[in-house]
Formats: sequence, C-alpha cells, structure tokens
Amino acid sequence: MKRRSILKSAAAAVALSAMAAGSAWAENPTLKIGFVGVTSGPAAAWGISNQRSMEARAAWINETGGYTIGDTTYDIEIVSFDDQKDPKRAIAGMEKMAQEGIHYVVGPNVDDGAAAVRPVAEANGIMYFPYAFPKELYTAPASNAVLGMVANYQSGPAIYKHLMENEGVKTVAFIAANESDPLSQRDGGVAAAEALGLEVVSSNVTYQVDTTDFTPVLTPVLRTQPDLLVLSGVSPANAPQLIRSARELGYQGLISTETAQDAQVLQEGAGDLANGFISVGGASTPELASDAMREFVQRYTDMFGEYNDESNTKVYALEYILETLKADPAGIDNVDVFKATMDTFEAPNPYMVGDAKLRYVGDSSFGQKRQVAVPLVVNVFQDGTFETLFVAEVD
Amino acid sequence: MLKLSAIQWTGLAVFFLAIFVGVPMMIAATGRTDLFFTLTSVGLLAIASAGVWLTFYIGRINIGQGAFALLGAYVSAILVTKAGMSFWLSLPLAGLFAAFVAVLIGLPILRLRGVYFAMITLVLTQVFTLTALALPITNGAKGITSIPLPGELSILGITLIPDFSTLENPRQAFYFTTAVLMVLTYAALYRIVNSRLGHLCRSMQQNEELASSIGVNISYIRVLIFAISSFFGGIGGAVFGSIAQSVYPSSFQVADSVNFMLNCFLGGLGYVFGPMLGTLVLYFGWDLLFELGKYQMLIYSSLLIFLMLVLPNGLLSLRLPKKGGQDK
Amino acid sequence: MEQILANGVYLGAQYAMIALGLTLIFALMNVLNFAHGQMYVLGGFVTYTFYGQLGFPFVSGLVMSCVTLFILGALIERFLFAPVIKRSSREESTMLLAAGLAFFFDAVILLVFGEKQRGVPKIVNGVFNWDFRLIMPYDRILICVLAILSIASFILFMQYSKTGRALRALAQDRTAAQLMGVNVDRYSMIGFALGAMLAGLVGGLLVTITGVNLGMGGPTSIKAFMMVMIGGAGVISGAIWGGIILGFMEAFGLAYLAQYGDITYLLIFVSLMIFLAIRPQGLMGKPWG
Repeated sequence: MKRRSILKSAAAAVALSAMAAGSAWAENPTLKIGFVGVTSGPAAAWGISNQRSMEARAAWINETGGYTIGDTTYDIEIVSFDDQKDPKRAIAGMEKMAQEGIHYVVGPNVDDGAAAVRPVAEANGIMYFPYAFPKELYTAPASNAVLGMVANYQSGPAIYKHLMENEGVKTVAFIAANESDPLSQRDGGVAAAEALGLEVVSSNVTYQVDTTDFTPVLTPVLRTQPDLLVLSGVSPANAPQLIRSARELGYQGLISTETAQDAQVLQEGAGDLANGFISVGGASTPELASDAMREFVQRYTDMFGEYNDESNTKVYALEYILETLKADPAGIDNVDVFKATMDTFEAPNPYMVGDAKLRYVGDSSFGQKRQVAVPLVVNVFQDGTFETLFVAEVD
Repeated sequence: MLKLSAIQWTGLAVFFLAIFVGVPMMIAATGRTDLFFTLTSVGLLAIASAGVWLTFYIGRINIGQGAFALLGAYVSAILVTKAGMSFWLSLPLAGLFAAFVAVLIGLPILRLRGVYFAMITLVLTQVFTLTALALPITNGAKGITSIPLPGELSILGITLIPDFSTLENPRQAFYFTTAVLMVLTYAALYRIVNSRLGHLCRSMQQNEELASSIGVNISYIRVLIFAISSFFGGIGGAVFGSIAQSVYPSSFQVADSVNFMLNCFLGGLGYVFGPMLGTLVLYFGWDLLFELGKYQMLIYSSLLIFLMLVLPNGLLSLRLPKKGGQDK
Repeated sequence: MEQILANGVYLGAQYAMIALGLTLIFALMNVLNFAHGQMYVLGGFVTYTFYGQLGFPFVSGLVMSCVTLFILGALIERFLFAPVIKRSSREESTMLLAAGLAFFFDAVILLVFGEKQRGVPKIVNGVFNWDFRLIMPYDRILICVLAILSIASFILFMQYSKTGRALRALAQDRTAAQLMGVNVDRYSMIGFALGAMLAGLVGGLLVTITGVNLGMGGPTSIKAFMMVMIGGAGVISGAIWGGIILGFMEAFGLAYLAQYGDITYLLIFVSLMIFLAIRPQGLMGKPWG
C-alpha cells in the first residue's frame, strides 16, 4: 500500500516543476488527482470505496508504465483528504487541493459538502466530481462540478417505468432517512413517480440515520400495501436491515433503491430475504463486465483485501478525468480547455463489453454537459450476487 | 479600565502583530494560501468555543453550541438571501437572535446542572438540526445555497469594507474579518471575567446556593451568560455560512457541539485564552496529520489521549505564571 | 396495538441494557463515557468475528465479547481514567479523555474491521405471526428474552453478591465506602469493566439482528445518554426505566406520528427537554447528578 510521506510529495513537486520547465526527466513526472470525501466515521463506506477505486486504478496505471497525455507519460498520484462528512472540513480539503496545484478532484460525497466547496473550486480553477444530486451544482452559472454518477431523478423514472411495464406496479411508497441527501432524493423520486402516473401511497415516513430497528418505522408504511417500496438514498448499512424488516413483516411487493449497494453486505445482513432487491450499480455483473473491469476488481481485491460493489460506479470519475485530459493535453492545468473538451469528448468505455462510450451528458437535466455518462445498470440481487435487470442511458 | 502588566501588554502586542501582520506575511512568503481558510476556521470555531467556555465559567457543561451556530448561520443566510439585507447587518442580528432564543430556552433548562445540563444541550443540537430539516423557511433538506459574498459596507459614502466579490482574494478578507471578530470576542471575554459579573460567575461556579444566599441574582446571571455565549455561537456560525455560501441542516451538528466543548477542555478551563489555543491545536492537529493517510484518525486520537494523560488540566496549565491568560 | 407494545418491549429491553453499563460507569466514577457506543460496536465485531467469520457457536461469541470488553474496560480504567481523575482539577475533564477514546476506537474499528456493514447468519429462522396483529421474528423474541434475562441477572448480582454490594456502596458515597473498608481503586476498576462488558454483551446480542458497522457507536452513545437522563443519572433502576420509556416512546411515536414524517424524533426530543426542565433529576435520580 502506498503511504505518502512529506519527502515524497516534495519530490513530486520537484518533478512537476522540472516538467513545467520542459527539461527531460528519466522518471515519469507525477500527475496529482485529488479526492475530498468522507473516509472516517459513520459514512466512511462512501468515501473509502471512492478513494480505493482511485488508488487501485492509479497503482495499476503506474505499474504498467504510466499514463500518456500528449507527449508526456505521467505517474498518477491520488491525494486524499478526509472531510469527516463536515462541510467546513470539505472547504479546507478543497483549499488543500488548490494548494497542491491540483485541478481535478473527485468528491465530496454529500450535498452539503459539494455546495460548500463550490466557491473554492471556482476561485481556484478546480473541476470537481461530486456524488451529490442537487441540480444547481451543475446548472449554469455553476460550471466546475461534474456529477460523478447517475442521479436518482434520472435512474428513478427508468426503474419505475420498467417495473410498471413488466411487473404491473401501480402503487409506490417511499421511505427515507431524515437527512438532507435522502430527503431530497425522496422528493425527486415522488415527483418522478407521480409524473409517470404511479399512485404514491406513502411518502412521509422517515427514520433517523442511526436507527437500528426498522420494524416500528416500516409498520405504517407497509400498512398501505404498496406494490413497490422505494428506499430513497438508503445507505449501504441500512439497506439490508430495512429489507429484512419489511420481509419479516410479511411484505410481498418489490423493493428498490436508486443508490449503489454492495452484494456481500446485503447477503450478510438480509440473506435470502434480499432476493429480488433492485438497486443501481456499475458494470460488474458478469453479462456486462469487460476484461478490464474484471482486472480492476482483481487488483482492488488484492490491494485492499475485499472488493466493494459500490466501486463499480466509482471507478469512472478518474477514468473520465484522464481520458478527457488525453483528448486535449492543454487541460492539464487549464480547466477552461477541459470544459471545452467536455462538449465533444468521446472515448470507448473500457469497463463494459460492447461499444459503450465515455462521454459527458446532462443537457436535459442541467442544460449543459456536466455529468459523466455512467451506464445506468439496474441490478437485481439474487443469492449473493447482482444480476442485470436492464441497462439504460442518461442524456 | 483594565490593568495589565507590562509583560501582558507585550504579549498582547506580539499576538496582534502575529495575527494581523505575521500570518499574512508568512502566507505570502510561503504561498500557502490554503492556510487562510484553515486559520479562519480556527478563528471562527474559537469564537464559538469562547461561548462554551463562558458557560463553563458558571459551572455548566454546554454541548449545545452547535445549535446556536446553526441558528446564526441560518438567520444570516435567510436575511441575506430572502430579505436582501447586507451581510454586515445580518451578522450582529444573527448573534442577537441566537441570544434571544438562548434566553427563551435558557430560562427553563439553566435550572439543570452537571451532566443533566450537558445532556439537554446535546439534545438541543439535534432538535435544531431536525427543526431546520422540517421548517419551510430554512428550505428543509435542500438547504440554502448560492448565498452571495458579503457586500460593501459604507458610511456616508466612505467605503469601510469593500465588496468581497470584487476582491482578488476573498479568503484573505474573511481571514481579517474573523481575526477582528476573534479579538473582539476574547476582549469581551476578558472584560467579563475581570468584571463584577465575572466575580459573581466564579462564586456561582463554586456554589450556587451560597451565591444565591448572599444576594446574587443567579437566575438572571446564568441566563445573561448563556445569552452571551450563544451570541458568540451565532456570530461564528453566520460567518461560516457566508464563507461556504451555503447552509445545510448538517452544517453544524452534534459532533461540532462536542468539539466546541473539547476545545475548552484541551485549552484549559481556567484560562480565558484556553479555548483559542484548544481550537488551534485540535483543528490544526488534524490538518497537520493529513500526510498520514488512513492512520490520521488513529494518531490524532492517540495524541489526544496522551495529552489528556500528561496535562489533564489543559494545555495552558503548562504556561509560565502571569502570562497571557487570566486565572482566578 | 399489540404490535406497538411488542415493539416497545423489544426496543426497551435492548435500550435498557445499553443504558445500564453507561449509568454504572457514571455512578461509580462520575465519568460520562462518550466511548460507550464504540464499546458496544466493538462487542458486536467480536461476536461477528467468532460467530460469523470463524464459525464458533453463537454463545461462545457472546462470551468472547464479554471477556474482551471486560478486560479492555479494566485496562482503560486502570491506565487512563484513574490517573486522569486523580490529577485533574475538574472531574469533567474526563470527557475529553472519553471523547478521545471514542475517536480512537472508531479508528481502530475502521482499520481492523473495515468500513462495511457486517452481519452474521440468523440464529433462529422463522417469524411469529399472530394473524398479522402481532408479527415478531423468532430471533428477535430470543434476543429480547436474553436481554431481559441479562438485566435480571445483573440486578441480582448487584443486590446479592459481595462485589455488587461493594459497587453500590461506592456509587452511593465514595468516601464512606472507603471508610467502611471497600477497596475503592479495585472496585472502580471492576465497575468500569462491568459497564464495558455490558456494552459488549448488547453489541454481541444485537449483531444477530441489526448487524454492526463502525458508524453505530456515536449515535448509540447519545441515545444511551438520553435514557440515562430520563431515568436519572447514576441510578440502576433509572437506566432500566429510561430505556423502556424511550423504547415505548419510539414505538408509539413512530406508529402514531408517522404521517408527519420528519417531526417524530423532533417531538421525542422536545418532550424529553420539557420533561427534564420540569423534573431536572430525571425519574429517580439524585438531585444534581
């Protein structure tokens, strides 16, 4: 495992300045990519799966000789900052990235952090890839944030529509944690469901983030007997318990969420009761994963002991940054070039079989291309693994 | 007027030089502009911690400062975005509103002592977070975003403070704002501690019944102190909201309330400047350990435990006698 | 209604057990143990490792949780809290130590057990279903019974054993207990260890139902604080009542206030504050803790 030392970052700084001076260098110069997110405390799982996918990918690149952008081959270094899910710390983290001369940052993981770092990112010319859904982050005049995944107001309608057509779903109930991100996602989900003509039978019930027993929470929701129960913005820790409680209370309908989940966590926490649970994932199901995806999973597992399925969607941000820089090397220290490149950028998606493309989308949601086109893979959990339910595209 | 010894005057002069001249020069020389925000954070958190320290002074463990910081942040944000008020006017109003709410809440709960008061204030932080999530005026879960930077402050056409959005480096402007606010806060704190009020507080800290029996109006004093404390919290929170240009229900939460209290413990409860030093060490300590990656939290908490073992009465218990802070 | 009562009993029993350990530590040493929730999580992870990962019987996992936390608690009291309490001028200073410990445990748990939610195989399968009026999975019923049994045996232990009597004497009046020949240092250590052990035991029991993750610690501590406040700080019976009351408040609140969604907990918290403002020492606490 890589541990940064002061010495090493000093060396990297020297390398960078040497490169800037245009002198030839025997060793690869280093390209630093930042990560600002939560890697400790209750929500650690979100940030750690981000950070580890970036580190696993960077180690892979460096081991195979580096990443060539323009005429230079770089070693990739990931600089991570733990914001402890505190927006005040997130600002400090973004300032630190600016200080390190970093222009491309992945994170933060939550709404409040993403909103708080915006002034810093815009003042210092940093493009950042948050995992937060508020539209105003990506809609003009904001221009430095790129949504790093599929938003729930995009995946939700696709899932509901699919279930209406194939499973005959007519009524839907929502339940969310009493916290900014899940509540916003619930509101988005309710709006989407109503637009599709679904009857929303319950959407008021919320639970505290620290709830450990969901039976009393779920009882009134299930009394409305919905065909579909949506767990809005559910954290991977709560999902298995919610599913288990719902099933033990005798609920027979479908359960879905619009966030990424981990198969092993579901298996340990809910076992067979989780069968049929619908969630959004990346491209690691056997039908879709390319050799590159399988190698990534293998390298991740070797490096950190176990894989986290949340990384299926989180592997993409770094890939997008590097590929876009490759498309126009001038973007390396000039985000305006990067932004211009985004409009036309297109490259093959290495992690998925077939001819899927990496490109920026978001015109219909944000009025500008400020979202990475992650394949919208809707999974269904079955006996410990995810199976692909359907694949859709976001525009 | 205050009577300070020569050595205290010197200390004060050095401190002023350091924060108003030394720090900006050092940052300019090293190019570490990220330190502006880090130090601004320290200053703002130190302002809120000063309030917590003041409630300690009347023998109350306050784990509710996060609530008032959140309140201040929201009041300022709402006044600026919805009423179009100048930030500079909303700032004192945020503090005053926090103080007003503190009076209402303080009247019943200040009768509690010891861990009971500590716990009820802890619950208070959660109550404020949940209220912010439920109310329409706070925009609920979506928070208030895109708050404009502080505008120009001018009196009779003379610009006292320029519009922050026209500045080349608003971070630096926030730093100076915070530095001034922090100096004012601690001057006020020092003044209170060395006044008759401070004397009464100390007698309450020792024994409320006794203080009451010799004619001290204890319920008036503790509400007054709690209001001043919350005023500081509101100010700190309001400036934070302006820097982040956004306020969410989670902007200040229980963890912040606990941290404010820890700042006071770490600095030392017997010293006016304790919370300032405590905040600096706790906040900066985390930042300095940034290089340790995944061991950051482990080392940070180990150091905290070790510090407590060595200096159970706070960092300032190390100090040379008669310098800087004020003991009883 | 039956369902709400059953939920209340189940929640109340587990809450009461968490609160017991916290209040014991508080009664003996006036330490508000911010790390209590983390000890609970640690207990859960120990059972997870022995029962879920290594395949030992569930009971041995529970025993290991108890033993581990007992030893850990004893060491923490002996080498951290005791020296700090002796040397600090205000006993509240231990709060910083306790918070430091909480951070420390969080860091250790993250490094050792990882960031993911963990769970173990169910100990009993099946669901008790009385005509959809009362639904309770069998494993919940079992855990609930075990929790009540543990609470009962703890009370018996405190009432009738020599150690229990010494601990109660210590909680009542430290100086008097010392004069009566109670070895204060030794029993403080045992008391702290017992408190930690209780936390570990609940963690081990509940891991079968709720699973365990590193984020559960802090919120659990706060919940435990609230129960202790309701019942009265430092009083054993108070902690049990506090746990049961909070359990029932949640069960009823969630059932009847569900349609108002976001404000269920707001109301619980506000009513708690009003209750404490009216009755500052909780249900049965000593006036000023």
